[in-house]
Amino acid sequence: MKSTRKILSILLATVLALSLLITGCGGDQKPAAPKADAPKTQKLKIALVLPSTVDDMAWAQSMYEALKKLQSQSKDGIELAVSERMGKPVDAGAAIRQYATQGFDIIIAHGAQYQSVVKEIAPEFPKITFAYGTGFQSGPNIFAYDPQAQEGAYVMGVLAAKMSKSKIVGIVGPVEAGDAIKYNKGFQMGVAAAGGDVKTRIAYTGSFNEIVKAGEIAKTHMDAGADFLTGSSQQAVGAIKAVAGKPGTYWLSTDMDQSAVAPDAVLASQVYNWEKVLTKIMDLRKAGTVGGQHLTLSFADGMLDLKYNPKLEGKIPQDVKAAVEKAKKDIAAGTIKIDLSK
Amino acid sequence: MTDFMEQGILIGIIATGIRLAIPYLLAALGEMLTQRSGVFNLGLEGIMLMGAFFGFYVTFVTHSPMLGLLAAIVAGALMGLLMAFVSVTLQAEQGISGIGLSMLGWGLSGLFFRLYVGGIQTIEGLKPWKIPVLGNIPILGPMFFNHNIIAYFAFLLVPISWFVLFRTTWGLSVRAVGMTPQAVDTLGVSVTKMRYQCLIIGGMLAGLAGATLTVANTHMFADNITAGRGFIAIALVYFGRWSPWGILAGSLLFSMADSFQLWVQVLGINFPYELAVMLPYIVTIVALMISFGRVWPPAALGKPYERGVRG
Repeated sequence: MKSTRKILSILLATVLALSLLITGCGGDQKPAAPKADAPKTQKLKIALVLPSTVDDMAWAQSMYEALKKLQSQSKDGIELAVSERMGKPVDAGAAIRQYATQGFDIIIAHGAQYQSVVKEIAPEFPKITFAYGTGFQSGPNIFAYDPQAQEGAYVMGVLAAKMSKSKIVGIVGPVEAGDAIKYNKGFQMGVAAAGGDVKTRIAYTGSFNEIVKAGEIAKTHMDAGADFLTGSSQQAVGAIKAVAGKPGTYWLSTDMDQSAVAPDAVLASQVYNWEKVLTKIMDLRKAGTVGGQHLTLSFADGMLDLKYNPKLEGKIPQDVKAAVEKAKKDIAAGTIKIDLSK
Repeated sequence: MTDFMEQGILIGIIATGIRLAIPYLLAALGEMLTQRSGVFNLGLEGIMLMGAFFGFYVTFVTHSPMLGLLAAIVAGALMGLLMAFVSVTLQAEQGISGIGLSMLGWGLSGLFFRLYVGGIQTIEGLKPWKIPVLGNIPILGPMFFNHNIIAYFAFLLVPISWFVLFRTTWGLSVRAVGMTPQAVDTLGVSVTKMRYQCLIIGGMLAGLAGATLTVANTHMFADNITAGRGFIAIALVYFGRWSPWGILAGSLLFSMADSFQLWVQVLGINFPYELAVMLPYIVTIVALMISFGRVWPPAALGKPYERGVRG
C-alpha cells in the first residue's frame, strides 16, 4: 500500500506542477529564453504582463502586436518576455517583481488593475521603467498610459446613431468600471449628439472574459431591436460572432481592429497606436527620463484612430462619413469636450 | 402593440434561459452519476474546457459539427479516465486531484489552441433545428422547439438518467457503490469498474457540455471560455440533491434567472446591474434555503475504496 501512496503523491505533484507550468507561463517559452552567450550590444529587455492572452483579439493582443513590430524594427534588438493570464493583480505582482530582479529595463503591466502593485514595487527598483494603463497616476519611474477610449467611442456613437434603422443601439459591457465607463459614456454621448432620437441600451456581463455571456447579451440586444452594437474588453469577440449571425446588424469594435472575427459585421474600429506610445517611452528612457509622465492616447496626438472595415466602408453614406470626420476633428481641436463626470 | 412586445420578451427570456441551461444540465447530470458512484469530481471545469476545445477544433478542421461533438465526447471520456485512474486506482484525495484536473484542462486547452489554431477563429457550428409542426406553434414553438440538437438531447437525458439510475440493475449498482461499497464488493460487483464507468460517462457529458459553448453557442474557442461553469454545475448537483429532476430544476432556475436579468438590463429597466448579475446566484441560494427536507448525499462520497479496509 505504501508504494501506491508514494507513486500517487509523485504523480499528483507532477500533474499539479505540469498544469501550473502550462497555465502560468504559456507565452514565455518563445521569446524569453535568455541566450547563454550574452550579446555584446545592449539589448533592451522588455517584459509584458497581460491579464488575458496575446491572442485575445483585443486589449492584450493589440499591445503584444505593437511590441512584436517594434522588436522586428529595432536596430539594437529587443528582448521580449510575456506573462499571460495574470488576471489577478497578486499573480501579476509576483511576475513583475521577478522581471525586476532579472534586470529587465522596461516592465509593462497592461491593465488598470495593476496600478497598486506597480506603485508598490516600482520604488524598490528606481532604475527600471514601469508602465501601466489605463491609468493616470505616474511615479518617479512609472509611466501611466491612458487611451482616451471615450473619443473613438463618441465618434462611433455618431456613426451608429446616423446609420441605425431601428433607432436602437446596444452596448455589451463587461463591468461598470474604468475603461468601460469611459467607452460607454463616450458612445452614449456620441449617439445623443447625433440627434434623431436614437436609444442606447447597456447590459453588463459582470466579467471581462465571459465570451458566452457576451454573445447572449448581443443576441438579447438584437432580439430587443438593436441593429448597431458595440462593447469593450476581450470578451467582446463572443458578441461580435453573435452579431455576425444576423445580417443587417453591425458591430463597432474597440481596442483593435476586430474585423477578422467577422468581416461582414465589424463596420469600424477604434484602434490604439501603441507603437507610438512605446517608442515615446523608450525615447524618454534613453534620454534619461525613466518615468513620471502621464501619456494619453487621443485623436489630438495621433495615437488614437478610427479605422473603417474596407469591405463594408462603401455601405456608409457620404453625409454620415462627413459627420464622423467632423466629430473627429472637433474632438481633436477641443471644440467637442467629452465630459465624463456627467 | 404592448401585448406583442411583452410576448416577445417572454419568449426571449425563456428561449435564452433554455439555451443557457444546456451546459449546466449536461455537466451536472454527468457529475451526479459520478457522485452517485462515490467519486467527487472537481475537475469538471477542466474536462469542459477540453471538450470545448476539441469540439471547436475538429469542427474547425473538418467543417462537421457532429464530428466535433464526437471529438469532445472522446476528449471528455479520456479526461474522465484520467480522473478515474488518479482517484480510483491511485486513491488520491479527490478534491485535490479534481483541482489538478481543472488546471490541467485549462492549461492544455489553452496550449493546444495556441499550437494548433493560433488565434481567434470562427466556425459555422451547430444551427438551431426547428422541430417540424411543434416548432410552428405560436409562442411555445420559439420557446421550446427551436433549439440545437444538443438541447433536445440534454432534456431527454433527464428522464433517461432517472430511468437508468432508479430502474435498472446497473443504476442500482451505481447507487450501491456510492452508499456501501463493501456490501457491493461482497456481492461480486467490482467497485473499481463501476467507478471507472461512471467517471468516464460523466466525463463524456462534461466534454459535450463544453462543446455546447463552442460548437453551438459562440462558434469560437477562446482561453477559459467556460468561465467557471464547471464549478456551478457541481453546485447544481448538490442543489438538485443527486436527482435528475432536481438538477433539471436547478439548472432551469439558475439560467432563467440569468436570462431574466439579461433582459432587465437590455430593456433599460432601472435596476443596478451589479445586483442583476448576482440575481441567478441569489435566487439559487434562496431556493436552497427554503426548500425543506433532509439531504442524504451518497454515504461513500469522496472516500476511496480499498478492499478489506473499513471505510
